[in-house]
Amino acid sequence: MIQTYHRPATLDEALGLLGSDGTAVLAGGTSLVASNAASAVVDLQDLGLDGISLDGSRVAIGAMVRLRDVVESDLVPAFLRDLARREAPSTIRNAATIGGAVATGHAESELVAGLLVYEAAITVAAGDGSTTHSLADYLEGRPRGIIIEITAATDGTAAAARTARTPADRPIVMAAARRGDNGETLLAMTGVAETPVAVDPRSLGAIDPPPDFRGTTEYRKHLADTLGARVIAELGT
Amino acid sequence: MTIELTINGELRTIDCEPHELLLRVLRREGLFSVRFGSETGETGAAAVLLDGRLVSTEVMLAAQADGHVIETVEGLATPGNVHPIQQAFIDSGAMQSGYSSPAQMLAAKELLDGQPNPTEAEARDILTGVLDRETGYLRPVHAILRAGAAIRGEAVEEVSLGYVAPLTDPLFVDEGAADPATLPVLSPRVVPSPEVPETAVVGQPEPKVDALKLAKGYPAFVDDIEIRGLLHAKVLYSPHAHARIVAIDDSKARALPGVRAVLHHENVPRVRYASGGQSYPNPLPYDQVSFDNKVRYVGDRVAAVAADTPEIAAAALDFIDVTYEVLAAVFDENDAIADGAPVIHDEPDMEGAHDAARNIVHHISADTGDVDAAFETADHVFEQTLRVHQVQQAPIEPHIAISWWDSDERMVIRTSTQVPFHTRRMVAPLLGLPVKRIRIVKPRIGGGFGVKQEMLIEDIVGHLTMATGKPVRLELTREEEFISSRTRHPQTTTYKTGVNSDGRLVAQQMSIVANTGPYGTHGLTVQMVTGLRGLSSYNCPNKRFRCDVVYTNIPVPGAYRGYGAPQALFALEAHMEDIAVALDMDAIEFRRLNWTTTGDPLDIAPALGEGDVDAEVVPIITSSGLEECVAQGLRAIGWERRSDPEWRQPADRPHIRRGLGFAMCMHGTAIPGLDMGAAYIKINDDGSFNLLFGATDLGTGADTVLAQIAAEVLGVALDDILVYAADTDMTPFDTGAYASSTTYISGMAVKRAAEQARSMVVERAARMLETTPGAIDLREGRAWSTDDRSVSIAEIALSSLHQEAQHQIMGTASYVSPESPPPYAAQFAEVEVDVETGQVTVTALIMAVDCGVPINPVTASGQVEGGMIQALGYGHCEEMAYDEDGRMVNAAFGPYKIYRSDEMPRIEAFLVQTMEKSGPFGAKAVAEIPKDGVAPAIRNAVADATGARIDAIPLTPERVWRALQTV
Repeated sequence: MIQTYHRPATLDEALGLLGSDGTAVLAGGTSLVASNAASAVVDLQDLGLDGISLDGSRVAIGAMVRLRDVVESDLVPAFLRDLARREAPSTIRNAATIGGAVATGHAESELVAGLLVYEAAITVAAGDGSTTHSLADYLEGRPRGIIIEITAATDGTAAAARTARTPADRPIVMAAARRGDNGETLLAMTGVAETPVAVDPRSLGAIDPPPDFRGTTEYRKHLADTLGARVIAELGT
Repeated sequence: MTIELTINGELRTIDCEPHELLLRVLRREGLFSVRFGSETGETGAAAVLLDGRLVSTEVMLAAQADGHVIETVEGLATPGNVHPIQQAFIDSGAMQSGYSSPAQMLAAKELLDGQPNPTEAEARDILTGVLDRETGYLRPVHAILRAGAAIRGEAVEEVSLGYVAPLTDPLFVDEGAADPATLPVLSPRVVPSPEVPETAVVGQPEPKVDALKLAKGYPAFVDDIEIRGLLHAKVLYSPHAHARIVAIDDSKARALPGVRAVLHHENVPRVRYASGGQSYPNPLPYDQVSFDNKVRYVGDRVAAVAADTPEIAAAALDFIDVTYEVLAAVFDENDAIADGAPVIHDEPDMEGAHDAARNIVHHISADTGDVDAAFETADHVFEQTLRVHQVQQAPIEPHIAISWWDSDERMVIRTSTQVPFHTRRMVAPLLGLPVKRIRIVKPRIGGGFGVKQEMLIEDIVGHLTMATGKPVRLELTREEEFISSRTRHPQTTTYKTGVNSDGRLVAQQMSIVANTGPYGTHGLTVQMVTGLRGLSSYNCPNKRFRCDVVYTNIPVPGAYRGYGAPQALFALEAHMEDIAVALDMDAIEFRRLNWTTTGDPLDIAPALGEGDVDAEVVPIITSSGLEECVAQGLRAIGWERRSDPEWRQPADRPHIRRGLGFAMCMHGTAIPGLDMGAAYIKINDDGSFNLLFGATDLGTGADTVLAQIAAEVLGVALDDILVYAADTDMTPFDTGAYASSTTYISGMAVKRAAEQARSMVVERAARMLETTPGAIDLREGRAWSTDDRSVSIAEIALSSLHQEAQHQIMGTASYVSPESPPPYAAQFAEVEVDVETGQVTVTALIMAVDCGVPINPVTASGQVEGGMIQALGYGHCEEMAYDEDGRMVNAAFGPYKIYRSDEMPRIEAFLVQTMEKSGPFGAKAVAEIPKDGVAPAIRNAVADATGARIDAIPLTPERVWRALQTV
């Protein structure tokens, strides 16, 4: 149960509060509050971190930007805006943040899969300075600290394919593909691993998805093959 | 800590705890329109505007809102005024229970504040945050668009009836009839019958009598009261599917400061009961006690705590030391009756199971004719086994009850129930109190769908109030609602059907193994309805029903809207479809050769009825609009596209196949010879009437429909009828809201009570106008003589109450029906199937229903629209899933998928009138039949699209994909 609530005014103050066990970073709170897992929270709402800007060919999104503002931003690629809309219903979109979505790294997050193919980089602040990680590395290593910014590519074209129980349901498996202006094709999927993962289009057979009641391993492998082929085909040769 | 919130324009400084949810703080501040729906936030019932944006206060700390601006529905309009959004929700029929309507209206406000002329897609998107289990979203979405038009200053037309010309009565001429494709979305589509007389209030799209309080978010629901000294209850649930409680030590829990009582099997009397809210004597078995020394499913009760705060109560559960001896468990109904299966009820004092040692609760059989002989001679015999699964009712308001001792030391239980009178009678022996010392109050409730046709938690709060002397509140979390309340019975059904070459049925046998979980509540009667619906929708001279109802260790099945009929109709309508295909007959023509119609006997009904009816008398069908329903549905769905290859296989989407499906539906109207409703009506000085009845409005509009019936009889406007209902101290008896009975049974009681009052009004009017009662007509709030003189009902009231030969004009009546006239319906579905992945997308659902004369076409349409979407969940995406130990793995919305506003198929309801002479103003039932046809219709549509004939639901992607591998 949460016993202490902090709302620091600066990033340094926030980092200083994060030292002790059971202290969690509170962004929108839509996952953390329901999980009831923390004993103290550090609310980032007063730190700014809520701007969206272009940085060369990449878009930089503050960690505290609400999903709803990602949806509405002209600076963010349309593909990612649509995935941000699909990420949660309106009430949650208005509170949940892109930093929270990345930190949670939910296995079924289409937005995280989309960020993977848009070559997202995650900047994490910690007591000893800030570091930037590829999204895949971030999901793998979960470095301690506070996510302050997510940057993503804006070029190229992208496609998504998904299989779900209903049109707005979180997909059982979703495939996102993007071909950047450099001609390279990137593919990522949800529903085939513990987090959304980048997948090599040439070795789809290597994945080994964990099953749940919506899909066995065999079925998820089939979906990965089918949906992976669809998005690659949609991008053309 | 201290926070500052600006709530509806007023800055408030509030003390709160760091962990407290914004929801709890706002409710404590008196903002009762903000309502609990789920601990993970997706229902949105608790949504408010924070700095103008819709957010869920269930997943936001109050501390997070410190310094921010909050708007709730309480701030939309002052008393006496109505905001255009509220008006639009009232006019559109967008509110059923109204539990989540404040949140939907705030969604509308956020959208319209930013964009006064939104698209339908934008309205659907903003509503994604507020799950709706009742309306099917059609009316809320269009209420938002209507509110936008009103705010822009455009004229908005009244929501009027949309008359659609009948297609099967070529002689019928109605100049007002329209092409349904041109009607406004909100207009209820009514196909009139020439036999139906004209009425003034009945048959009109009147606003709900409770609309204002719901639209304004006023305190109306169980939790919307403040009681000093209230204790909070929590229940410890079993973590094991089957175990004995070897020891229970509550000393550490009792020692926790703030804990007031800990109850379990060692300190609560062992009184046997059946929890289903049904008439006296409750059907056997009596296999439950308040707290047992054995647990039979994950979610079974172990102990209950009352404490000063919810947090202390929750913490105390962790301090109850329970030692379990874990037993083998069984979950599948077929495994449960195999040799060597664990015996779920081995206690010596259990009463009334057919064969407890073999887990068989009931063995039901019914026969007509000679089935075996007919199978011998039939030209064709078809046999097919089908399975239906377990789903949950999922009302947005979970179970909640609050109990206290009143100043006469009587126990008051304010509870979200469909059966207040049954609950009073059933809880009394458990508490050891006489019925006269108990009062049950049902305020507005936030949906029920059968899950509240149960005495579920009232004994817990009652025991805790008796143990502590204090008021006690218990509200289930969403997870608890899934695992510990009630669900729909799974069944394995085998149909065997003999058909002659001309397509006529000659023999039909239905054999079922039904899963009633660990307790037999509703186990007998749900399965009897399955047999009745499964074997009386079609004519057949030889029928056999065999059903074993068996114990397992899954969460408890009970009543769920449809009550055995959706299970039966899935199996029946899949089976009939496949027979037609095997015989190379048109699937509708084959059914038409066999389906029942006016004058046909319901020959197996006497053997499968529970009421006091003459077993020798076979009921005869007295009205059917099925042919017209089919004709309307065929046109609306565009059935001719079944033979258009370009439509079936779109050239630009090579992996998609499209198909259309049909199912006929037939339901019952109340339980004949058993269901009883009563009403009392009295006049007031101004010519208004108080109408009191025990019938239980769950959001269905029952209060409105009953008031319309009274207004029609008395010739007054609907707002001259003041309804008070469902309070065991104040209102006459009613069995409650189930079995599609309220309009038909309670409606007839209201009609008769109103007729008594009417005859007194007429007599007084005759005296005042110096004429004879036979010369008086009541209309428009006045009594008219044949020579056009009149006196107002108010003058009549004043005369009779104050002036001359004073007496109270009043009436009281009760009603029980010997009949159960079936409503009929035609359900059509359009689907797209991705043949590479098995994903089914349902793109349209059309249902045409013969519910007799709809008393209120808007609320009746709402029942059909919302019922179809619940039924879509059953057939398409909802399922309770378990791990190998019987723990539910998807006890939250999201993993348990219910349809959202932005993914809806096109839905359209038609109300085909018939004049059912036994019903009030011609009415039959409408509430449950929308649950019956969607699952088989989408299943048959998938078969039409792909050739895959799937014998189980839900039609989730992997199941369909596997079926496609075998086509």
